[in-house]
Amino acid sequence: MSSNSETNTPMPAVQQDRDWEQVAGKPAAASAPEEKAPAAGSLAEEGAGSAKPAAPAGPENIAEKPADKKKPAAPAKKPAAAKKPAVAKKAAPKPLNKTCVSDEVVVRFDHVTKTYNLFKNDRARLLGLFNIKRKGSYLGKVDASNDLSFEIKKGEAVAFLGRNGAGKSTALKMITGVTAPTSGTVTVNGRVSALLELTAGFDMKLTGRENIDLRCQIMGIDKDLAKELEPGIIDFAELGVYIDQPMRSYSSGMRARLGFAFAVATKPDILIVDEALSVGDVTFKRKCIKRIREIMMDENVTVLFVTHSNATAREFCSRGIVLDHGTKLFDGKLDEAIAFYDDMTKEGK
Amino acid sequence: MIETLQQIVKDNWGWRKQIANLAVFDLKKKARGAALGWIWFLIKPAMYIGCFWFALSIGLRSGHGTESGAPYILWLASGIVPWFFMSEMITSGCNALRRYPYLVNKIKFPISAISSICTGAALIIHLILMAALMVGYFACGMPLDLYLLQLPLAIFLMFVFWNVFSILLSPLSALSKDVANLMKAISTPLFWLSGVIFNMENVGIGWIQTIMLFNPVTFFGKIYRAALVDKVWIWEDPAVCLGFLAVFAVCFVLMLVVSKRLAKDVADVL
Repeated sequence: MSSNSETNTPMPAVQQDRDWEQVAGKPAAASAPEEKAPAAGSLAEEGAGSAKPAAPAGPENIAEKPADKKKPAAPAKKPAAAKKPAVAKKAAPKPLNKTCVSDEVVVRFDHVTKTYNLFKNDRARLLGLFNIKRKGSYLGKVDASNDLSFEIKKGEAVAFLGRNGAGKSTALKMITGVTAPTSGTVTVNGRVSALLELTAGFDMKLTGRENIDLRCQIMGIDKDLAKELEPGIIDFAELGVYIDQPMRSYSSGMRARLGFAFAVATKPDILIVDEALSVGDVTFKRKCIKRIREIMMDENVTVLFVTHSNATAREFCSRGIVLDHGTKLFDGKLDEAIAFYDDMTKEGK
Repeated sequence: MIETLQQIVKDNWGWRKQIANLAVFDLKKKARGAALGWIWFLIKPAMYIGCFWFALSIGLRSGHGTESGAPYILWLASGIVPWFFMSEMITSGCNALRRYPYLVNKIKFPISAISSICTGAALIIHLILMAALMVGYFACGMPLDLYLLQLPLAIFLMFVFWNVFSILLSPLSALSKDVANLMKAISTPLFWLSGVIFNMENVGIGWIQTIMLFNPVTFFGKIYRAALVDKVWIWEDPAVCLGFLAVFAVCFVLMLVVSKRLAKDVADVL
């Protein structure tokens, strides 16, 4: 399947334009996530409840798929459609352990190393950039990622396990493209939506509505689509009249809600979820989890999960990667990965 | 080196839509909170020009007519209007990355394009001021002639040069506040050691004049005046052109060196 191979262009803007076009076909899914609420039912509950509802929501998502993909994936449509019923059935009886739907690689790390140089102060760092490293002011370096290589295929759900400082966030940051590897290459095909730092990237002087507008523009969403998405985002964030107030007047919960609503407004190709995500009150949290599930339900969406706990990982993921000190220690089936990680933490104690 | 240049051009071209939108947003943000909003962008330069005109023409009695018969205030304005663009670029253009930290390390956005946002915002203001200046120009009864064709060239060169300047300095400024402080400090000498307020030729001290030739502000003041007041072609003064080209070339090479070294690291330190 080569649905996204053409998006593998080095020019980001072009790539994004095309990705958004792809999303444009499904305003219903994007702007009115609540509509699915009755169908998804107990999805809202965390943990065990998720297994059964996967069935009703699954086919629904699949049904809208062929229509969506008109533009970018003409040749890929048929094989994908043929596979779908089988996957839907598989998902029904047990937790949604997403596995790949094709051999297409969406994320590839090729011997990636990310090194942070540590300096005593800003002046030393400035000199250090020009290779002037004096003793005493240069404190050494840390490899946040060390010769990391892995491939993630389309539709997989992968859990990243590891202690604090294991290099999980650094790896995910490189996938989102905000930081570049020191050596090696990171290849990402498709639009990434990261639920990492939700409140980051907003301009506090602008109003909520303007911030949505601004973000849309940064991501290269055309104006019509942006207008279409806006009501859905505002609705989901439950901001009401506050949407036209400057963001500095928002509470932290409101900011996070808006951040989340924006991030999930459209279905990404790759979704990155930080489990430490805590958004607003219990009701809103439930709504968020439901929305994340809806996105994950789409078999073509690749999901990367950062987690310390095993329950969430078990529910969604089929594969686990254990990191420690920037090195990949284990990569394989989730159960084995969790066992490996548990052993590792016990030894650590 | 060539790769770095290709990358910068590609980034800026590929993201041109976003750059333009964000430049407008930058201005909207600045106009925010004032009832008169956009008008303030005009009032400040008007005051500035008015004060200099008063000080020089009436206070110091050094205001003089020009050879081509253009009024002194037009001579003054055609030097100060480009200076406004340049002073904005010197002080805040070199600080572009610090003004948009979330574009650097929270959202995927090319580093060099952030400078272009700042330059773009300054350019919009400049075009508005130029429109106002042209109204004044025709109101003074000045002719519509071929020399005016130098203006688009001047605006283009000014955009490119100061954008290069910003791409060169803003990553350094992100790493160390020294750069921003240095720029603030040299902004005043850059202004006074240029031909914006007085005629460079009147200085009469050879070596000072030579130094002034390497001040890019001098070149831009000259080219605007050549088009609007003096009615000459800028290349009739090869010394000032060569001085500018030399500075341009140096900045350009430095920009490539700095971008190559720092592009990857900037996101980690800001």
